[in-house]
Amino acid sequence: MKERKVLTRRVGKYNPLDLKAYEALGGLQGLKQALSMGPELVVEEIERSGLTGRGGNGFRTALKWAFAAHQKPKPKYFICNAEEGELGTFKDKVLLDGDPWAVLEGILIGAWAIGAEQAYIYIRGEYDKTYSLWGKISVEAKKAGLLGKGILDSTLSVDLHVVKGRGLYITGEELALISSLEAHRAMSRPKPPYPSEQGLFGKPTVVNNVETLANIPVILTNKAEEYQKLSVREERGTRLFSLSGDVKHAGVYELEIGSGTLEELINEFGGGTLNGRPIKAVQPGGGTSAFLGRAYLGCKLTAKAIRQAGSEMGTAGVIVYEEGKTAVDIVRGLLEFYADESCGRCAPCRIGVVRCKEIVERLSDGKGVAGDLERLREICKACISASTCGMGQAFPLPVLSALELFPEDFEAVIDKVSA
Amino acid sequence: MSMKEFKIETYQKLLKQSNGVSVENLFIILGKVQDTFGYVPREVVRDLATRTGFSETRIYGALTSYRDFKVRS
Repeated sequence: MKERKVLTRRVGKYNPLDLKAYEALGGLQGLKQALSMGPELVVEEIERSGLTGRGGNGFRTALKWAFAAHQKPKPKYFICNAEEGELGTFKDKVLLDGDPWAVLEGILIGAWAIGAEQAYIYIRGEYDKTYSLWGKISVEAKKAGLLGKGILDSTLSVDLHVVKGRGLYITGEELALISSLEAHRAMSRPKPPYPSEQGLFGKPTVVNNVETLANIPVILTNKAEEYQKLSVREERGTRLFSLSGDVKHAGVYELEIGSGTLEELINEFGGGTLNGRPIKAVQPGGGTSAFLGRAYLGCKLTAKAIRQAGSEMGTAGVIVYEEGKTAVDIVRGLLEFYADESCGRCAPCRIGVVRCKEIVERLSDGKGVAGDLERLREICKACISASTCGMGQAFPLPVLSALELFPEDFEAVIDKVSA
Repeated sequence: MSMKEFKIETYQKLLKQSNGVSVENLFIILGKVQDTFGYVPREVVRDLATRTGFSETRIYGALTSYRDFKVRS
């Protein structure tokens, strides 16, 4: 298995403030191509490439764009979601810091495709240096005529607002991000209406992940046909895997989708487990994805294969857990985080995540009571079916999968109690 | 980041640099105030409320929900 550097090919190769160097390395070709094609053809080209969102949901990018492009109300907004808060996910930072112009190019092409004149990039608050870099990027871009009126002598006009997140996990959810930009509390709401109809300030809005946008110039520069040659039949392109947890070499690795298995990723790039112990479980798509046990380590790295194994590819944040820790403690760590981060808008998540946390804390302290496991399962299922947004629907997934995969870990603590 | 002591002139300069405040950039302005002074002073909330037509409560309601906004020095 080999890395296939497509999105990260320029990372570390030039000074991120140097636009000339970016151009010399093949930059801006995608934007020029897009401007000469016109918005409709750009959406078609992205559609043909088969690009799906890299932020977790895996929605088809071109569909989002087409919905928004067909909306009549103006102004329209284009948002780059750089509030990378998912546990075990740190791949967007590599692109934001290492090849910011490619992300900007993606934003501009997106704005062109849907007809937006206002664009936002919402950067995670903890990424302080990234935020100040982007402040400089936006100044440089204005000087070079890449932001403002008549970009590259075309009819495209875009203003970019660089916004810093304020420390809430939930702002990574697109509707919570939008409500945050409206200077409300960061909270999601039921869909529909989707942001592409009624988003920021009630206007058509597209929210795309950083990695998704970095793909856009690649597709337009080389044409969709070239892009389709990357990876397996149904899923196109490369993915940036953030590998972390109990591995020797945590890091971001770019692989062609489907070019290897989970085990190969962990052993060949991660250098095996931290203490050389066997792997206990893996979360393949960030902290809210279901655990996969050892039996599924041979799973190919495609969204479809991982779904069939019982989890989700999500943000491709692969978190590895080796033997030695009980599943109760692992789940406790996750639930303590999510209980802190629930926005509180809808009852299942607001109350459910806290009750789950209480039960698991009790179990891990050896104070579990009879019926705790059944209760835990019941609350999790209720949260999945009744929560408004992705967070409430997803935090129970690792809990339920841990109960299924490691019943002995949970029963061990229950036994202690009744004995 | 080094914080400046709150002065109304510094705040007004900051507003000017951002071409004033509106519903569209309120969140950004609040962020800049936080980053400059280390908190969002009462005077600022009052002024922004007047300028945007929002109630002070509305602005405080949002501010206090974020981990990285402070309302006291």
